[in-house]
Amino acid sequence: MKEYNVVGHSVRRLDAVEKATGTAGFTSDMKLPGMLYAKVLRSPYAHARILSIDTSEAEKLPGVKAVATHKNTPRELFNTSATMTFTVPPMVPVLDQYIFDNVVRYVGDEVAAVAAVTEKIAEAALKLIKVEYELLPAVFDPLEAMTPEAPVIHESHKKNIPGGEVIQIPYGDAEKGFAESDLIIEKTFKVPVQKQAQMETQAAVAQVGLDGKITVWSTTQTPHPTKMILAKIFSVPESKIRVLNPPYIGGGFGVRIGLSAKAEPIAVALSMLAKKPVKIVYTRKEDFIASDTRHAGYVTVKLGAKKDGAFHAMYLKAILNGGAYCSFSCETPGVLGCMGMAVYRIPNQFYYGHSVYTNTTPSGAMRGFGNPQAMYPIESVVDMMAEQLGMDPLELRLKNIMQVGDPWPLPYKCSSTGLAECIAKGARSIGWEKRGKLNKPGAKKLRGIGMGVGTHCSNAWPWCGDYDNAYITVQQDGSIHLATGVPDMGTGTSTSLPQIAAEVMGVGLDKVSITFADSASTPFTIGSHASRTLYAAGTAVVEAARDARKQVLEYAGEFLKVAPERLELKDSVIYVTGQAVGNDCSGSGVCQTGESERKSISLKELAYNAHLRNKQFIGVGRIVPDNAPPWHAHFAEVEVDTELGQIRVIKVAAVHDVGKAVNPMIVEGQIEGGVLMGIGYALSEEIKYDEKGKQLHDSFHKYMLATADDTPEIDVMIVESNDPTGPFGAKGVGETGLVPTAAAIANAVYDATGIRFTEIPLTEERVFRALAENRK
Amino acid sequence: MSNFIVDKSGIKRYLVSVKINGSEYTRVVKANTLLVNFLREDLDLIGTKKGCELGDCGCCTVMLDGKPVNSCLVLAVDVDGREVTTIEGIANGEELDIVQEKFIEHAAYQCGYCTSGMIISSRALLNENPSPTEHEVREAIAGNLCRCTGYVNIVEAVLAAAEAEKK
Repeated sequence: MKEYNVVGHSVRRLDAVEKATGTAGFTSDMKLPGMLYAKVLRSPYAHARILSIDTSEAEKLPGVKAVATHKNTPRELFNTSATMTFTVPPMVPVLDQYIFDNVVRYVGDEVAAVAAVTEKIAEAALKLIKVEYELLPAVFDPLEAMTPEAPVIHESHKKNIPGGEVIQIPYGDAEKGFAESDLIIEKTFKVPVQKQAQMETQAAVAQVGLDGKITVWSTTQTPHPTKMILAKIFSVPESKIRVLNPPYIGGGFGVRIGLSAKAEPIAVALSMLAKKPVKIVYTRKEDFIASDTRHAGYVTVKLGAKKDGAFHAMYLKAILNGGAYCSFSCETPGVLGCMGMAVYRIPNQFYYGHSVYTNTTPSGAMRGFGNPQAMYPIESVVDMMAEQLGMDPLELRLKNIMQVGDPWPLPYKCSSTGLAECIAKGARSIGWEKRGKLNKPGAKKLRGIGMGVGTHCSNAWPWCGDYDNAYITVQQDGSIHLATGVPDMGTGTSTSLPQIAAEVMGVGLDKVSITFADSASTPFTIGSHASRTLYAAGTAVVEAARDARKQVLEYAGEFLKVAPERLELKDSVIYVTGQAVGNDCSGSGVCQTGESERKSISLKELAYNAHLRNKQFIGVGRIVPDNAPPWHAHFAEVEVDTELGQIRVIKVAAVHDVGKAVNPMIVEGQIEGGVLMGIGYALSEEIKYDEKGKQLHDSFHKYMLATADDTPEIDVMIVESNDPTGPFGAKGVGETGLVPTAAAIANAVYDATGIRFTEIPLTEERVFRALAENRK
Repeated sequence: MSNFIVDKSGIKRYLVSVKINGSEYTRVVKANTLLVNFLREDLDLIGTKKGCELGDCGCCTVMLDGKPVNSCLVLAVDVDGREVTTIEGIANGEELDIVQEKFIEHAAYQCGYCTSGMIISSRALLNENPSPTEHEVREAIAGNLCRCTGYVNIVEAVLAAAEAEKK
């Protein structure tokens, strides 16, 4: 395998000291002179019409500077998710939201907002706003919302299907495939509402200048698309809006692809009214109830196989709860279907899926984006199939997994796979051979081992448009400045992209500086999501660096009187390939004229020489990425306390084919975090609603995240298949850690108890009831 | 209770004198001002983060007389005459604390939002217990939620810091 100088090394992150000393800048830390603080009035009802709204008392409260409602803010429809700006024809983005509307569609929906000199005054003012509601019938379950008698949530979407969009993906002939199958298993699963629960809540600070320019610091994962959404809402040229992170975000996990819920437009609207900078930071409760969640819903898998275990047909169906507004509700079922269909070689498949509007918190993007909802059911059914066939589930998977070059339903190629190696390594780590031999007869605590596999994408194409740009300027001293619009929400982008730039440019990482996450000082990118940042933005960085390097070598060629093709650039020195680097006149100034017989020159000297001749090396990378499948196999060992119904995960082995780990330490961290989020998805995380549509889990003491104390051993291993399409062979990794985790745990629970759970999370209550039922 | 003044609207404001990161501060606060807001808004010590304001997440952890506390659950008036250490006061001038160094070395953070509180809890643990077991580390930081890392590198970093400090 090729060795690199900077790429492939676990170098210290460039944001390390700032983050370890508490000096890293976040939106919620910002303070501007004269800044006001905003608070939002939210609907207490799941579905209601606002008959009247009286803000006069609130406006009179000393310290209140502006009150915004549907009456004094733009009546411009938008979609909070970035799909609004890169949904490609023939699909049409679903625009179904205003900043404030005269109808509220879920508990927590925005009714009005106040800007005041303190947060406390803004909060007090909310209580003075008088709203008269006419209650409307509400519906919370997607299946009920599809019935003819269900209330219509958006007049323009009569059947409660956002955009009317039902995704159907035929592949081969599923009907014929099932007819030819020897064994068919069908099962429907119910998946829960999971919350991203990133540590920094949604936040924005807006400053509207008297010159009409708008600057918004926010927690968005997509500064450029967010700029486009704001430009549409406020009818302002995009060139006059600057959206940026300051420069860090306290996590994202998909919850702010596009707007940070509505923090940005609310802050801008209030800033326009008050003519002062306005800051809004959502409370944790607001973040829980009024920012996008993972899609809950119902997923059906019907799998047909031949006697020898060859999968022959699959039917996959997903009905997802989209919540009150569309957000990513058209794309998520698409990705669910595509990823579910891409793991195994199944010649005959059919996918049918869509979202349904309900009067619940909008569902949107969350790490995995439909894929975990596909893989928990699929991998459960694969295990059931193995049992029916009398085969080892590991062997059954090895027999059926996708191979390079295999035909598959996706419009890009299966360009690489290390899945078989992932499975082998994971099996060794967990001790797969112990499976079925872990329990003594009559034991109250039962152990089990299970596995799950999966794939994902490395960017958003073909579900959304996807392109990226970057530029690199060689500074006059030979150091490198990289500009890219993608954020760093913790994923290490601001380290790994400079690593790529340093490698291509032939300089040390200490010579590279990065500007990121700023729509004004970087070229367009669709942002950080779809596991795309390193893959797609990284490809743009490679291109920009190659362009700059080419210019450097051409100039050096003239300078050294050697053809540029014969030159190398390494450790910031340009030299003739094969010739020793002379220690000649660097820095002495005598060779600035370029007349001496030199065979090498430092980049520093060359850049300054170029500067004196009125030239800078500026590399531009403009790319449309290909796409590539990362692969992963997870193995879990669990212990089920049959008296309490409590499940303890003993260990998860997570082996990931990431193509190439540009910074292995960062890559492992991504997977570890994803695994724990997946354990939460499997065991404890769920937002439930009461009968009136109020969220029952709206804080960290109701919605239980795993603490360090209840985290099992997580053994992460990396497999490198060197994908031909990715930068240095890299593929996506940001989302993959939780894709097959719930599947592996559910299969381990079955191995321990013999109970096939068709609903997650596997809470104590759910498990206890099932165990009791099983004993009957 | 400390000295107070009454403003024009009849609201009592209290005089608080507190030693923070080695420096003495005297400020006037309202009775309901939370320590976290006092630190962040009155003193611009924004390294202490807010994640929930309910004492659940631990992002706002500071040391109060050497013990880790959620600063969103402490009133500013209650720190009168006491000593507070925030993330800004952990390093010894230019020299980072060993816990900070090990967090950096082990990439024990991703987004960085929980990091200040996590480092404070870890420092407080090592002050009390210089040789913690892995279980004791996990227990000590169980009040600090992290959604990014799976805690793997954090636990490693704290154990490495303990090891380094013994030398």
